[in-house]
Amino acid sequence: MAAYTVPKAFPTTVVGSYPKLPSAREALRRQRKGGISEEEFKKLVREAIRGVIEDYIWAGVDILSDGEQSREDMVVYFAERLRGYAPGEWVRIFDNVYFRKPIIVDKVEWVSPMALDDWEYARSISGGRPVKVILTGPYTMLEWSFDLHYGDRREAILDLARVIRREVDEYLAKGAEYVQIDEPALSTRPWREEAELAGEALEVIFRGVSAKRIVHICFGRIERILPYILDYPVDQFDLEFKNSDFRLLPYLKEYGYDKELGYGVVDVHSLQVESVEEIKKAIDDLMKLDIIGPEKVYIDPDCGLKRLPREIAREKLKNMVEAARLARREWAGEE
Amino acid sequence: MAKFWASVLGGYPRGRLARYTMRDLDSGALEPYRGLVELERASALVVGAQLASGMRFVVDGMLDWHDIFRPFAEAWRNVYLDGIIRYFDNNFFYRIPVFRGEPEPQRLVLPGRVKGLKMLAEPAGVKVVVPGPLTMVKMGRNESDLSDYELVDKIASALALEVREAVANGAVFVQIDEPFLSDPEASRDDARAAAEAASRIAREAGTALTALAVYFDTPKPDIYEEIIDSKVSLVSLDVGDAPARAIGLLREKGCGGHGLVLGVIDARRIHDDSYSNVREFVIKALDACRELEEVGLTTTTWLDLVPLRFSLRKTYILGLYTERLAADLGGEAVIPITAKPEPYLAG
Ligand SMILES: [Zn+2]
Repeated sequence: MAAYTVPKAFPTTVVGSYPKLPSAREALRRQRKGGISEEEFKKLVREAIRGVIEDYIWAGVDILSDGEQSREDMVVYFAERLRGYAPGEWVRIFDNVYFRKPIIVDKVEWVSPMALDDWEYARSISGGRPVKVILTGPYTMLEWSFDLHYGDRREAILDLARVIRREVDEYLAKGAEYVQIDEPALSTRPWREEAELAGEALEVIFRGVSAKRIVHICFGRIERILPYILDYPVDQFDLEFKNSDFRLLPYLKEYGYDKELGYGVVDVHSLQVESVEEIKKAIDDLMKLDIIGPEKVYIDPDCGLKRLPREIAREKLKNMVEAARLARREWAGEE
Repeated sequence: MAKFWASVLGGYPRGRLARYTMRDLDSGALEPYRGLVELERASALVVGAQLASGMRFVVDGMLDWHDIFRPFAEAWRNVYLDGIIRYFDNNFFYRIPVFRGEPEPQRLVLPGRVKGLKMLAEPAGVKVVVPGPLTMVKMGRNESDLSDYELVDKIASALALEVREAVANGAVFVQIDEPFLSDPEASRDDARAAAEAASRIAREAGTALTALAVYFDTPKPDIYEEIIDSKVSLVSLDVGDAPARAIGLLREKGCGGHGLVLGVIDARRIHDDSYSNVREFVIKALDACRELEEVGLTTTTWLDLVPLRFSLRKTYILGLYTERLAADLGGEAVIPITAKPEPYLAG
């Protein structure tokens, strides 16, 4: 694998999902209809992952993802691959978008690697750039499933955590450097008990893990949950800022935030491409607060890019990378 | 002897017919008129389920509402819709209504719907639901020159007009949804504004029953004090989500002379609710508000957060438990569909 040096200051990254490329859409459509072999599915998805990685490299992103091209939904994808889950029926997410909310009907158990293939493939074509392992967290898995088996939320979440830890081990064995657990549901119940429950689950997932441990949280009252999660066993929180107009920034200062920060500076719900100056200013605003140094700040979008048109996603990333480059020069004297 | 009656809290999920119809309507692939016909078919199914399950009041299912704010925001001048944001702690998103000024109704949302539903709903009564003005402001964005509470007042005026016409067209139950009042961030001033807005809307409802509904959680006691100051006939509380707190609230504060609607059937999960739990909640609530002569039972939230199949099952359970409770507690169940049939066939 070719060597690639991730910049020390303001490395750029992505949260995970990327717009579905045509071959991935075709793979998923045929999978829904039941008319595709495992092999064909993989082939189509790989073609899509290749396109995603090309876009990332074109834009200049440092730490990549596989673009979640084979995941129709962040919960359903894993539910379909675990024992203990039954397929669900359609529940609406918004407008005319639905998901088949899965049902836990038995003790959840890990069967075989769920997303390893895509990650390995992405890594094999990334030109040495690291590729994040990105998995849906146990708290969100439970919140966005129906539970007919456990009844007890803690028990269910801890079982899901053990299953996810088992999955994480697969990547660690292959030298994964970044492991990100997505917990968007956590921001919807910003209470201490909930944060403690999710924290307990993260202990299970991250105990003894030496790769970079990241948790992604978005779109909710993050400022409310923040004080309860600061002692989580993670190296980095990856958070949405742009969509909520950076209202989170003063809270970081207030709570004495000192972990690494995935700094969401690109709005994934808006078609408007943020200008380089706008993103650079957002980075400047963070630095001026003097909370953490540039080596602890990872520049990325608010959340996955899946709902954007590909062209817009590409342009947003390109401007983001350029803004990070300028900030690097200014705040770290690094080229 | 207490009377018991049932009605679901709000909208239903979309089955395949409604899903495809909405998709095709929104993409322009279906003519609006054809879309209406298809939606009416889809709606008839959920109306039938409510009637057959013994609901005293029925809703049309609100199958075409993308969220509770949307139809109203779209019908008002000076309001536009922005990005999507999560609706409380659900994996469901609504579009943010943004107010650039006082909302001015360009057309009415409810009266036409009531007219369509009235015949189908016989012999049950038609219930309509409007978003609470406070919730709409708190979950929307105020870009107008008005203060938030002034805007609450203006929205109440627009909704009062809706309600007056809905009642004139046959609605007999008007529910005002203020789920924001269960939010830990809601203040006493917020609650006062919401209660005043609800009073204002209720004034236009004439002889129809009116309810102020708070759900997704139990409001704090000081919030609840304001809620029961509102001039609505009924207060509707989510009991199933946090029973101990809800019952505690009723014990501590009573009902303030209002009738009570209790959300006892869990509309966010798909398991069959336990009858003994529901029975216990109702007994405790009645014990806390002894002056009540009747109590309404409902679902904890709208039913659109579960798949269609389960929403129908929950409707059935709601009706079944209402009947069982009445029998168990020596009361009477008000079930229009089993009442003595009117002589429809005469002539
Ligand atoms: Zn996210």
